[in-house]
Amino acid sequence: MEETVVAMEEMGVDVVATEREPQTIEMSAKGVSVWFGKRKILENVNMDFPKKTVTALIGPSGCGKSTFIRTLNRLHELIPGAALAGEILYEGQDIYRQDVDPVHIRLSIGMVFQKPNPFPSMTIRGNVLSGLKLSGMKRPDHDALVEQTLTSAGLWKEVKDRLNAPAGDLSGGQQQRLVIARALAVNPHVLLMDEPCSALDPASTLKIEETVRELSKEITIIIVTHNMQQAVRVSDYTAFFLAEENQPGYVVEQGLTTEIFGNPRDQRTLDYVNGRFG
Amino acid sequence: MTILMSESPPVLEKDLEPLRPWSKRPASFWLAAFLGSVVPLAILGALYLTTDLAVALLLIAFYLPLQLIGAGLAGYFAKGKHGIADSAIIVFAIGATALSAIILGSMLLTIIVRGIAAFRPSFIIQNSTYISPSTPLEYGGIGHAILGTFLIVGIATIISVPFGIATAVYVTEVRGRAVPYVRFFVQAMSGVPSVVAGLFVLTVFILTGVLNTSAMAAAIAYAILMLPTIARTAEEVLRLVPEELRTGALALGSTRARVVLNVVVPAAKTGIITAILLGIARVVGETAPLLLTALKNDQTVLNPFTDPISALPTFIFDNVAQPYPDAVTRAWGAALALLIIVGILFTITRFISARKPRR
Repeated sequence: MEETVVAMEEMGVDVVATEREPQTIEMSAKGVSVWFGKRKILENVNMDFPKKTVTALIGPSGCGKSTFIRTLNRLHELIPGAALAGEILYEGQDIYRQDVDPVHIRLSIGMVFQKPNPFPSMTIRGNVLSGLKLSGMKRPDHDALVEQTLTSAGLWKEVKDRLNAPAGDLSGGQQQRLVIARALAVNPHVLLMDEPCSALDPASTLKIEETVRELSKEITIIIVTHNMQQAVRVSDYTAFFLAEENQPGYVVEQGLTTEIFGNPRDQRTLDYVNGRFG
Repeated sequence: MTILMSESPPVLEKDLEPLRPWSKRPASFWLAAFLGSVVPLAILGALYLTTDLAVALLLIAFYLPLQLIGAGLAGYFAKGKHGIADSAIIVFAIGATALSAIILGSMLLTIIVRGIAAFRPSFIIQNSTYISPSTPLEYGGIGHAILGTFLIVGIATIISVPFGIATAVYVTEVRGRAVPYVRFFVQAMSGVPSVVAGLFVLTVFILTGVLNTSAMAAAIAYAILMLPTIARTAEEVLRLVPEELRTGALALGSTRARVVLNVVVPAAKTGIITAILLGIARVVGETAPLLLTALKNDQTVLNPFTDPISALPTFIFDNVAQPYPDAVTRAWGAALALLIIVGILFTITRFISARKPRR
């Protein structure tokens, strides 16, 4: 435990600074259980996501992290056989209420996926602005918006001279940052990231982590990661998911990242964050 | 360190030639190959000279089997038992491919040689008004039939493309309950004989007085035949669009309609154009539906609703059975024109589908 804190400090993470003042809650999950068909995937997840913080969801493969993050912007329901119990509150309202349009929810709660998915038929600029086109949202001054979002995503300097090149010309890491810029262009309040760096090299990963830290000054970020160091580097809060064989996943422990990594209460958390299983 | 580093690369006395050490063969192989190739050829030649059997029959019944046996023996001498199957399969593949190439090539050659006799500028641009089967080739042409084919196929394309793509979108994007039935139905439809499509239009549209015997009626019959081809090919290419693009667009607050229109269809654009061209190529030579729905006309017809109209396939059909050599040559000329149109279509298709979207 001591080692972890020391290691974190060596990595340049200011351990004390992440312990912020209590903040207002942007989103929360209340008693969320999830099924695919008859199979229960997640059991009774309760979690708060304070405004302008980064929450990391960690845990071994198949414990329901990705499924959980997809319930937060109603992408979960697109999978045939998907079912859900409990409430996801966003700005105090359940996003699964009958009168809520999932399209509006997804506009406010953006998402970045594991595999970079820029639209191949569009240019770099077209991709950044695609959210506006697809959602019919009006925002003034597209040039400034393109520059601002690409700068936030840490890509502006690399692409500013070839904004009209096809998005497929970019490398994997650049594509992932382009997709982040695309998500930011519709001005979301929450950004969900499902293992955004798992297909990237270390240099691109670091760039995206910087981007995440930078973005968290403005928006709330929830990130699924298999990389423990990444969770330590980017997140304020961490939730540790676990699933026993053929059992639904659940949250073993959640709290400040410093606590989860430095002083976990549960033995399984301690074993996992120290790489002893999973 | 110094031990691991070679002092300097060995100096080559002369530049190395590219070699293929794996293609060296023992003398026994060459002997066997010689016997395996020359002996069958010699037998073929002897049979050809001494009997009256047709060359094609000799090739298929004598030469190919002998060549297979010869190749098997050559393989056995060169590599032992497992060489037999290797050699036999290679010879069989080459032989069968050559045979189909010969058949297709001789067909192409026949059409070109016979059709070229009719080809001249007037043949392409004039129509056949006042032309009888015995009129010399200098007069008259297939301009009206080319226009007829373009008119009928054009209208059929306008009718079938929206339905075909809509069907594909229903199957791959809307994913409604009826998908398995729709797919089954479309698949079954692609087996509809073209004469049945013509009969359908004849009974439902022409005999009821809704349409005249005209380009429009023929276009409906063509559209029925094109629809399954377009729907199935478009479905295949839409299926190739990665699912991540759809979820990615939905995660940006897109409606389902915009996902389809702005992301999925543009991503599959080249494939959809290919689907349309394949649909056109499917029908452009169909004759049976035209005989029932468009009949023939020696004059140029541009109104698709009023008059019977000739197209290339019906022009060929009319002229090839005439007892006048010039009429038959006209038919070959029209066949060559049809072949060129289909060739251009397939070239465009290959060109477009070769331009894959990057990554």
